[in-house]
Parts: sequence; structure tokens; C-alpha cells
Amino acid sequence: MNARTIFCFAIGLSALTAAAPASASDLVLYDALDFAGPVAKAFQAKTGLTVDVVEPGSTGETLGKIAAEGSNPQFDIVWLDGSAVMERMAADHVLQAIPAAAYDKVAFTDLGKSLIPQSHAFLPTGTSTTAIEVNTKKVPADKLPKSWADLQSFAGKVAAKDPNLSGPAYQWLAGFFQTNGLDAGKALLTKTLTNKSLSGLSSGGKVNKAVLTGDASVGINQDSAIFSKIAAGEPVVAVYPSEGSVSLPQGLGISAKTQHMDAARKFIDFVTSAEGQAAMQNGDDTDFFYIPIIKGINAKPGRETNITYTHLDDAVASAHETEWKQWYKANFVQ
Amino acid sequence: MTIVQHSGAAAFARGAGASKPPLGRLSALARYGGPFAVYAVFGLLIGLPLALVLVQAVMPGLFAAQDASSGLSFEPLARVFNSPYVAGSVLHSLELGMLVACTTTALGGAFAVLVQRCDIPGRTAISIVPWLVFLTPSYLKALAWVLLMSSGGYLAQFGLLPAALGSAFFGLAGLVFVHTLSLFPLAAFIIGSALAGLGSELEDAARLSGATPLRIWLRINGPLLAPAIVLSFIATFAEVLSDFGLASTIARMSNFGVLTYGIYAAASDYPVDFPAAGAQALILLSLVLLVVVADRLLRRRADPRLISGRARPARLYNLGAWRWFAMAAALAIAFLALALPLGAIAARALTQTLGHGLVWSNFTSANLVAALSLNTAANDGLLRSLGYAGLTALIASSLALLLSAQLDRAGPVLRSAVVGLSLGSVAIPGIVLGFGYILVWNRLPGFRDWPFPHYGDGSLLVMGYVAAALPYCLVVILSAIGQLAPSLTDAARLHGVGTIRRLLAITLPLVLLSVVTAFLLTFIRTVFELPISQMLIPQSGPPAPTLILKLFSHDRDGLASAIALVAMAAAGIGAALVWYPLRRFVKPRRSVGYTGVGSGQAARTGTLS
Repeated sequence: MNARTIFCFAIGLSALTAAAPASASDLVLYDALDFAGPVAKAFQAKTGLTVDVVEPGSTGETLGKIAAEGSNPQFDIVWLDGSAVMERMAADHVLQAIPAAAYDKVAFTDLGKSLIPQSHAFLPTGTSTTAIEVNTKKVPADKLPKSWADLQSFAGKVAAKDPNLSGPAYQWLAGFFQTNGLDAGKALLTKTLTNKSLSGLSSGGKVNKAVLTGDASVGINQDSAIFSKIAAGEPVVAVYPSEGSVSLPQGLGISAKTQHMDAARKFIDFVTSAEGQAAMQNGDDTDFFYIPIIKGINAKPGRETNITYTHLDDAVASAHETEWKQWYKANFVQ
Repeated sequence: MTIVQHSGAAAFARGAGASKPPLGRLSALARYGGPFAVYAVFGLLIGLPLALVLVQAVMPGLFAAQDASSGLSFEPLARVFNSPYVAGSVLHSLELGMLVACTTTALGGAFAVLVQRCDIPGRTAISIVPWLVFLTPSYLKALAWVLLMSSGGYLAQFGLLPAALGSAFFGLAGLVFVHTLSLFPLAAFIIGSALAGLGSELEDAARLSGATPLRIWLRINGPLLAPAIVLSFIATFAEVLSDFGLASTIARMSNFGVLTYGIYAAASDYPVDFPAAGAQALILLSLVLLVVVADRLLRRRADPRLISGRARPARLYNLGAWRWFAMAAALAIAFLALALPLGAIAARALTQTLGHGLVWSNFTSANLVAALSLNTAANDGLLRSLGYAGLTALIASSLALLLSAQLDRAGPVLRSAVVGLSLGSVAIPGIVLGFGYILVWNRLPGFRDWPFPHYGDGSLLVMGYVAAALPYCLVVILSAIGQLAPSLTDAARLHGVGTIRRLLAITLPLVLLSVVTAFLLTFIRTVFELPISQMLIPQSGPPAPTLILKLFSHDRDGLASAIALVAMAAAGIGAALVWYPLRRFVKPRRSVGYTGVGSGQAARTGTLS
């Protein structure tokens, strides 16, 4: 085979592959939220600006992709559950601070205001929290757990997410240590999570599945996941622990290297508008059951919003993140 | 039947034919351009991305979010080697790989003998089963078994699952069970194609000399099949080591940590623990390469090549009344490996919730309708994947044909280097390759500015798919080309026929069936390829596997099952429409069993997902 042939072949191949169209949209959105697609579609319909929605899978997988892209990020906007990870990305200059004016335009509720980070690393668009998911076919109504401490009596039958793989799960772990105390909290978890095949799950969907199939009687899960199952007719209920719940904001961040700041601003305006919030509820999956944090917006029917919150000390949570995640992994995953 | 070694007369003749005295710059280019192209293709598609992932095991700061540095450090390796979790997952991977290699080779070998050499009823229908099993992606089979075996799953709902069995399933036993059922086609293809090539001359001669069937199998067929058995063992072992489908489902649920999951876990966070991912990938690859090298050393020489142009199909054994028992056994395997998992997926696709089980009020067609209606996310993903898969299959099989033609004339060093590389790269988990692609095409100066392929486009995804498929295609086509007598093309060359014309007019028609085999295998596998799809997801929209997995992890397994079902049907029907007319058209006279020319080596094409 001579060089000319190889060259011709290479050109031919290039032409073939080039047939796959390159992307040239106004915004690239990386996310791991169910409603991002519908919201992008509604935004497109309203403004005419095109959005490419990239969803590699779970929050962890999205973060892995962002980390792999490193100093050459391809997204304009990232939209995820969890505040701590947003702070970390801002600290690494992957994200830029949200302009103060963007917050001022939004009529946040008190809960919403409490979620705005001092660093301006992200803009909260809604929230959820962690609750105890109970399979009512497995657990009679008079035996429902009322607090995290009550989960001890279900030891070995408790499903939980690995905070190393799930942003929401770390938020829960940090909050759990805050409300129960570090040493007492560790002791409590050690007594509760005695079945490693259930305590290192990678997503809320897997916690749901473990509880629904009966592998687990109860699960520690994001409450919006539980409400979407209740809406689908599954035999589960959500129980809020008496210790109080730490809220888990959905954060929207802007890439430090975006070339589309105007479009990003318009997207933020849309998401925080009544229309955008309606699009965020236009579906039946987990994230559509978020808790609204903007005045005048109601949650989806059936979604509990009367929850006792405790405020997570982000600084403490961030400072111990590596340590606590490794402790969890060593005790309940490996 | 003639047995010729790779480095035997035919290869020598080819080598001699190729070594004409150099004539000038152009002919030197022509002479060295070929091998260079081979190395360049492998280097760019596989070598460079892989190297970037692995090098982080010793240069942990190379891609750090801040203050990237190229300082050498053995800290990640030390950390990984000191971690009891990693040591445990290495042991788990080895234990699982060894066990499954044994069970799979035994089951696949028995299946091949049963279908090819025994007069069991329904032989033709049963012989399709391994292909169907083989083409079902492993993550779907794993998810199907989870739906079946969980304590609230379908089998328990029907009262068919004793509690003890259910709990034993989520552990080593279940993993071996599902892996064996999922990988036995691999062994059946490898051993089956060797059986087909064996013909019956030697066996007939032995029988005429009064040897009993047992003695014939132990002393003649057994030793002749030994290389195929070893290859099957190695192929299965490599498949299990690099499997991600079961690792992320059953193994994860059983707390049975394996290396691939460790790599995935290290790479799914911000910031990614690249050094740990690199170090674990290094261990994984070393293990697989060790096995491949050990195999080469053990056998000292390359595989004996069975040139079986004159071999006659072997006689079928008459099993008498036992043939019904044999058929029942084959059907039982077909049921467990195919019907039951597909049934579970179909049941889930047609029901609203898992918890309410298979009761009439729970049935719905909404999932299937969503997957089949135009302009839904599900349908878009499906069409996108079919398009990407077609393009990938076209590129990979053409490229493999060109490279094979080049390699067949090349010296033994390049040849064994490429065969070794191909075998080794089968074991590279897609997730590692995908990460490597991001690093090369989005981080390396020079690469990231190329307009094509470009990170974030479909072009890079297709390139990743091609890289994953090329080794398989190469092994399939190379083995078919290797069976051609060199005299055919030599005669044409002596008459002054050019390279491309020789390839198109002589070689291609003779190996058409294996090129089409490579094309179809690549097509079907690419429709379901998971890890690379996930890492290189184009901005224009997700391909079907990413969508399926995302839906599963977001607990919408009904819609995910529906997409999977439609994708399998589309890919299967498309492949059958190409395969059957073509096979009728170029029916090879010596094809005995269910494998076409060279498709025994297609068996290398396992289920990496």
C-alpha cells in the first residue's frame, strides 16, 4: 500500500466522520437534574437561544467529566444538587462568581435567602432535603422510625448512598454529624449501617430500588426521590427525622471560561421566572419534586414542604469533607 | 488438512515477495509508510490516551486543577498498594476471572460440541442462541438479573425464589453465574470454530484404526483443540477483568469490589482522584498483559493455523435417546441466558412499577410508545446511536481490512506486536479509554484546537467507538486473510495489478464474509457501548446507552427497559437483514457450524461494557 493510498483513505475517513455535525449552540449546560432538559427546551422556545444539554449520568459522573476537562471546560453552565462541590469548583477557578445583580432580581423566600452562598459560587434554584424512606409493606405504620436514632432497630436493612459518589449524600452526612455530634454520630451509624451491600449505593434510584424490592426496609434518601415514587403509586412514605433536616440546594454555576455570559444571564433570569419554575415542575421524576424557594411558587401536589430545617455549617462540612468521606468509605463501603 | 505456523512457509513467501530492493524516496515511503500507518493508528487511537491515564500513576500532578506539574512521585502507587480495598479488589477480580474462565470454557465448549457434533433436535435454532446472548449487552443482563433475583423482584413475587438462593446470588456465586451465562458464547465461538476447522480426516483415520470415541477426543481432538481452549480461557479471563456492566451492578450490590469499579469510583468526583484511577488501571492492565504474555510463552509459537480448505464436515454423533436430554440441556441454557433476562426486561418495559409486579392493572404501553414516537428524547437517542454505530462499523471494518492486508505482508515482529496490542486493548476498560480521550483531545495543546475530531462533537465519540472496535475487527479479518494462500495475490502482483485493486478485486471478495461479520459485530456492540458513550457524550445529545443508564440510575427503569428492548430489536433485525441474504450469496462450502469464516476469532469480541 503506498503513501498516496493511505492519504486518500485518511481524507475519506475524515470526510465520513465530519458528517457528524459539530455543535454551535448558544449555551452548553452540564447537569444531573431531571428537569434540565424540559427547562432548556422552554428557554429555547421563549428566547430562541439554543442550549445543548449534556447529562453524563449521576452527579458524580458529571463532576468527573468536569474534572477531566480541567482548565479547558466545555460547559457554560453547570446545574447540580449540592453546595459544597460548587464551592470547591469556584475555589479551583472552574466557576466564576455569580454577579450580585442576578441575586437581587430574584424574590427569594427566607429559605431561599439562607441558601445564597457568601462566595457567590452558585445561584440556588430550588432545594430538597434528606428523609427516611420507608417501605410500608415491610414496616407497619406503628413501627415507623421517627429519628435517625430509631434507624438502629432496622440495622442491616438500611439502604444509604455512598457520600463519595453522591453530592446529596455528603450533605446529609455532614448535617447528620452536625445534629448528632461527631462521635455520637459515628457510633450511631456504625450500629445502623451494618450491611455494606446496602450502605454504599451510588444513586438515589438505587436506594429506591433497594427499598421497593424489599432488600432494605428503610432508606436514607433525597426526599424528592421519595415523593416521585409516592406519586408513581409505589408503597413508600417519607419520614422527616426529629433532629431536623439539612437542606440540599440545587445550584446553578457559571463557567469561569464561558464566552456566552449574556446567554447565561438570560438563562438564570428564565430559571428564576414563573415560567422557568413551571418547566422545572413539568415532569414526574425525582428532581421535579423540588422545594421552591421563590415567592409565589408552589411545590408539586403531594410534596411536603413543612419541614424543620437546620442550617449546615458549610465551612465545617468543607473542611472535613475528605476525612469524613474516607471514614464512610472505610466503614460502610469497602 | 495442513497445519502451518504463522511464521511458516506462507508467511515466509509473503515476506520474500515484499522485500524487493528499494527504488527511491517514493518506494521507500511505500515500504515504510505501511508499518508506520499501522503504528500511527494504534498510537493515536489507543496508545496515547491510555498512556495519559497510566502516566498519572507516577506523575500525580500532571492534570491537577491547580498548579499542574510533571513531577515524578510514587505516592499514588504506594497509596494504592497499601490500600486493603485495592488489594481486596485485585484478589476479587482474579478470583472471579479464574472461576468464570473455567466455568465459561466448560459450558461454551460443551455447547459447541453439542450443537456442532451431535444430532440434537432443533440444532439450527439452538445454534443461533449464542449469537443472541453475545449481542445482548452485559449491563442489561445484569440489570435483568437484579430485577429477577432481588428479594422483591419478579422471581420472589412468583414464589420461585427461596430466600437462601436470593441472598447467595448477590455475591461471588451470582457473579459467576451471570458472567458464565453471559460469556459462554465467547467460548462456544472460539472452540466451535476450531472444531469446524478440525474437519473429520484425522478422526476418521483414528476410527478406522480402531480408536474409541473417548480415545479420539483425548488423544486427537483434545490436543488439537487445546490452543482454542486456552484462548477461550484467556479471552474470558480478560473479559471478566475488564467488565464494567456487572461490576457496577451485581458486584456493587454485593459489596464485591473489583478493579474496574474502583477506577470508576476514583473518577466520579470533583476533583477526580486521577492518580488512584491511573494506578488501578495500571494494575488491571498489567494483570491482563501478564496472562497474554504467559500464554505466548507457554505455547512458545504462534497459534497453529488450521488451513482447512480440504476439510470435510465431521460426522454427527448419534446420541440415541440421550439426544432429547441434550436438547433439554441446551434449551435450559438458552432459557437462563436469554429468555429469562429478556423476559424480565420486557416485563419491566411493559409495566408501570416494579413493586406492584405483574398484575394486569400495572401493565402499560406508555414506555414503548415513548421509545418509538418521533421527537422524544428516547427516540432521538436511539436514532443517534444507530447512526453512530453504522458509521463506526463502516470505518472500523474498512480500517481493519486495510491494516490486515498490510499486516499480512509485514514481518513477524510487527504482526505479533499488533496481535498482542489488540488482545491487550480488549482488556482496557472503556471508562479508562474514555478518560484518556478527554485528556488527549481537551487538555493537550495542539490536539484540543484541531477542528476535527473535536472533543464535545460526535466525531470524537465515533473515533472512541472505532478505537474500542478496531482490535476486534482486526482479529476477525486478520485471521480470515491469514487463511488465504499468498499465491493468489502474488500472481496478481506479478501481472502488475496495483495494491488497491488487489485488495478490492481479490482479497475482499474472499474475506467478504468476515468483513461483514466484523461490520455487524461492531454495529451491534456500538449501539450498546456504554463507558465511552458516557465519557464522550456529544453536546448535540446523548446516545442510547447513556440514556438507558441515566434512566436506570434515576429509577425510570421502565422507560430504560423499553429503549433497550427497541434498540435490541432494531439492531438485531438490521443485522439479520444484512447477514442472511449475504450468507446465502457467498456461502462458504466448508462452513460447518454456526460460525462463518474467521468468526471464531470474532469470539475475541466479548462484551466489554
